[in-house]
Amino acid sequence: MLVLTRKAGEGIIIGDDVKITIIEVKGGGIRIGIDAPRDMKVHRQEVYDKIKQENQEATQWDMADLSALSNMMSSGRKQS
Amino acid sequence: MKKIQSRFGEIEYDPASTLNFPEGLIGFEDLRDFVVMPNEKDGPLFWIQSVDDPQAAFILTSPTDFFYDYKVIPDGRERQKLGIGEQDDCFIISVVTVSPEHTITMNLAAPVLFAPKTNRALQVILEGTQFSPRTPLPEVAPVQK
Repeated sequence: MLVLTRKAGEGIIIGDDVKITIIEVKGGGIRIGIDAPRDMKVHRQEVYDKIKQENQEATQWDMADLSALSNMMSSGRKQS
Repeated sequence: MKKIQSRFGEIEYDPASTLNFPEGLIGFEDLRDFVVMPNEKDGPLFWIQSVDDPQAAFILTSPTDFFYDYKVIPDGRERQKLGIGEQDDCFIISVVTVSPEHTITMNLAAPVLFAPKTNRALQVILEGTQFSPRTPLPEVAPVQK
């Protein structure tokens, strides 16, 4: 891993079109500005990891779950 | 017609009508093509099976049946990936998780955008949303007999 030291106001250029700027360092947090092409996805690591884990868990079902779930939902619907 | 093995047995499908995820799902980026399987029972649920990985199947549903104020509008990048224009239909679908304790949640933080025109779908992460990846299904009242 490349490790660089930056101060507030300084930046990093990645490739031809990604620019990262350190906006502010305050109270243990660092505000970062990211300029990247619109087609490039930028996500906070923990948010991405959480979704990945949720998707993994979402594959752990069986037909009995689907059947029970369907019954539950259709009973709810008949109310309306 | 082609055949694949799944956790639920052999599935026959038409390769021309698979649902295409140009970016895969998050954590499953290599799995691009899924067979859409109708639920045997009535209701808003269906499931998709990867044509490449027998283990990868997801239960999906329409979140707007439960959360009327839930709206996701695809941005320019997403429309381009879906191959649609601003006027084309784009539906929101949620991935359903059944926990080992059999509690049921919907992932409203990372919905799937579906474009019927191109049969493509994209899972997007909503940044800064108040919706949880583990949103419990609203309580349903028992059927009155």
